[in-house]
Amino acid sequence: MYNNIMNNKLLVFSIFTMILLVMSCEKDIPHYMDFDSYSYASADENGGDWTPILTGGTITIDVPSAPNSSEYLSELAEMKAAMQQATNEQKKAIEYWTNNPIVRWNEIAVELISKYNLIPGPNADGTYTLPNPSNPNGPPAFPFAHPPYAIRALAYLSVAQYDGLILAWDFKYAYNRLAPYHNDNTIKFAYPSNNIPSYPSDGAVIASASRRILSAMFPLEVEYLQQKEAEHLESLFLSGGNVQSDIEAGKLIGNEIATRALSRASTDGMSKAQTPKPVSDSIKAAAFERFGWQWTNQENPVRPVGLTPLYGKVRMWNVDNVEDVRPGPPPAIGSPEYLEDVRILKDYAANVTSERRRVANFWEDGLSSFTPPGHWNRITKEYIVAYELNPLRSARTFAYLNMAIMDAGISCWDTKYHYHYPRPIEMIPGFKTILGTPNFPAYTSGHSTFSAAAAEVLSYIFPQESNQVWKWAEEAASSRLYGGIHWTFDAEVGLAQGKAVAEYAVNKAKLDGAD
Amino acid sequence: MIHRFKMFHWIDVLFPMETSNVLLHRLLIVLLVFVMHAGNAQTPTDAEMMPTGDICFFLGYDYGSFDEYWEGSKLRTNATIATVERKTIMPVIAFGIFKNANLYVGVPHVSTRSTEPNGGKFAGAEGFQDLGVSLKYQALRKKMSGGELMLLTSIGYSTPASNYLADYMPYSLGLGAPEFFLRGIIQHKWNNNLYVRTSAAHIWRGYAETERDYYYSNGARYSNYMDVPNAWSFEGVIGFKAFENALRLELIYTGQRSTSGDDIRAYYAPKPTNKVNFDRWGVFAQYYFKNIEGLGVIAYHNRVFDGLNAGKINNTGVGVSYQFNFKKTSHVQ
Repeated sequence: MYNNIMNNKLLVFSIFTMILLVMSCEKDIPHYMDFDSYSYASADENGGDWTPILTGGTITIDVPSAPNSSEYLSELAEMKAAMQQATNEQKKAIEYWTNNPIVRWNEIAVELISKYNLIPGPNADGTYTLPNPSNPNGPPAFPFAHPPYAIRALAYLSVAQYDGLILAWDFKYAYNRLAPYHNDNTIKFAYPSNNIPSYPSDGAVIASASRRILSAMFPLEVEYLQQKEAEHLESLFLSGGNVQSDIEAGKLIGNEIATRALSRASTDGMSKAQTPKPVSDSIKAAAFERFGWQWTNQENPVRPVGLTPLYGKVRMWNVDNVEDVRPGPPPAIGSPEYLEDVRILKDYAANVTSERRRVANFWEDGLSSFTPPGHWNRITKEYIVAYELNPLRSARTFAYLNMAIMDAGISCWDTKYHYHYPRPIEMIPGFKTILGTPNFPAYTSGHSTFSAAAAEVLSYIFPQESNQVWKWAEEAASSRLYGGIHWTFDAEVGLAQGKAVAEYAVNKAKLDGAD
Repeated sequence: MIHRFKMFHWIDVLFPMETSNVLLHRLLIVLLVFVMHAGNAQTPTDAEMMPTGDICFFLGYDYGSFDEYWEGSKLRTNATIATVERKTIMPVIAFGIFKNANLYVGVPHVSTRSTEPNGGKFAGAEGFQDLGVSLKYQALRKKMSGGELMLLTSIGYSTPASNYLADYMPYSLGLGAPEFFLRGIIQHKWNNNLYVRTSAAHIWRGYAETERDYYYSNGARYSNYMDVPNAWSFEGVIGFKAFENALRLELIYTGQRSTSGDDIRAYYAPKPTNKVNFDRWGVFAQYYFKNIEGLGVIAYHNRVFDGLNAGKINNTGVGVSYQFNFKKTSHVQ
């Protein structure tokens, strides 16, 4: 009896301990990268001389009022009054945006990519409806932010940010109007101080350029992006870093540069990348005639056209002719090399170790995710913060990264639809995968190509990280084999292809004046 | 408790333990100890109790399948994954540990797959799901004019028993998160052996660990953990006992309501973060053999008829239980 009572007490105690454990696990799952604003590793006073990516006419802004002018002093007074009345919500926004808002706008882009990365399902009658930019609400909603779409959005975003900041740096050091907190020592800057002149506001360039580019890429998000821009611009003002005229000049530059970037985007060939069925069928037939094999979608009902068959014809950033970087053909079906691959893939499928499963899932970056380009942007963002890059260098890093990844994607898609090579599930009887097989030909692997391009650029910008980023690129390539959706030669050739394409970007970067 | 006393009646009066039966007992134990299901032989959700010192081995098999599911509230199909099948082998051991308290321990073994042919060619999953431990306590049993009222409560905890990946739906073995539940049960039984039972539970669910460190769930999520929503679970039962309680028949409604969570995204796989609701009806039967003491069988069938972010699953199960009093067996030996 006594024992029973003791056991009961023990039990009650154990139950309460379990309840406490369950409760204490409750925690918020972060929506963005948590980091503190930092002192920039460099100011890059000559940043205005760096070579921009886009071409276009001259952009001018007004000469700023002098720091001792009544106009400027009244701007300062207005700012100080607003700072004193800042609400807690506004203070939180200042903390959120940090003094490197390139990171935040990149995160917003990546978030929208994962929000829109949904493949349209079949209609009740077995047909498929494609997202249509002239009817963005759909259904299905526009866009389907698949990897080729995603990297294009990121590339235009980063290039516009970079060109805008080159121009901002040029004016900053030409007019040399210091930050409000240097002109009035009663102003307490919300971020670590720096000596970069504040006219025009680099933050405003980033906010306006980013809002414009992303609004064009994600037309259903126009209102959300306007709110983000307004919050960011207000934070610049309330941080003590920019008076209103700094911000207005920055907005002007951001908008002008965005117009330039979007003009290129409107004629880069993306609108023709998703072809009608007859075009897609003729591409497939041409490959079958040339090589004797073809890739076919396996879904029920069959999806009539693969993903963006003509993405390989989209205008590249740093490679003149996509055929210059097109690899040779994959092994013929039935050849010894092919049969060896069948053996390897069957072995992976039969032996899903916990490490292989982890690698396959970690790099899957499939539907509803930020895609492989988004994954590499996330890695890059963390290096940018770790190395305390200023916004100009951050934008340059993302611009060369994303141009290289987009060029790699274009080259990869050119290869995919040129060779039209089948996927393992089509060729190996009874084969099962732990990842979903994508709606486009196998050779070469997009993950491998994107990842090698990213590793090549990151090795150039952050040479100390070269081993690590290449290890990751190779892991991303292997992940597709462990997942059962790619051949080993898709991955190996894809890695070499991505590296080769990215070398064009790196060679150009080396000459842009930043080194 | 009446039921339990009847069990004693069979064991002690009709089939007194004899040496010749010990071998049979041992054989059955060896067979049953390996396997089990959340069948309803005696579970944390019903009002059946075992006496102190009793031990019950249960082994169940369950087959469930669906080819339609609710994406949010929209019922749809996905022909690429064909019909998704789920087979469960459920071994449970129940103990009458204290007066009015039963302890249950079980770990289901689950295997999943799509029927052939299918275009998705996804590998199914197989392995042990969650190890569950629960305790049921009879707080009140009151004879009333014309019947009997029982109040019970049960609590339980479960946690993944293998490294299965929860983020592999619809093939994943389970939700991948630790769970804690607290349930209240009321049963009223009339003297004509008809009874009604209702129960409600709150289920606290923890986090499922995934193998990626970013995902979309109403916004970007920078984590390899997914918050699995808590839920309310309800049950309403009309039952009948016959043949001196050897047969038990039940018509069961079961509902679940998640308290948070997101919708399945368009034409995308479900996730552990989804807000999962469902309404289900089922029938259940249990029979104790009169000529083999302590041996019982169960069979049931359930059909989900409405849901939110849930499969329109029909499942059918059968099970066998064997119950005996440990102390008495020792005594005979």
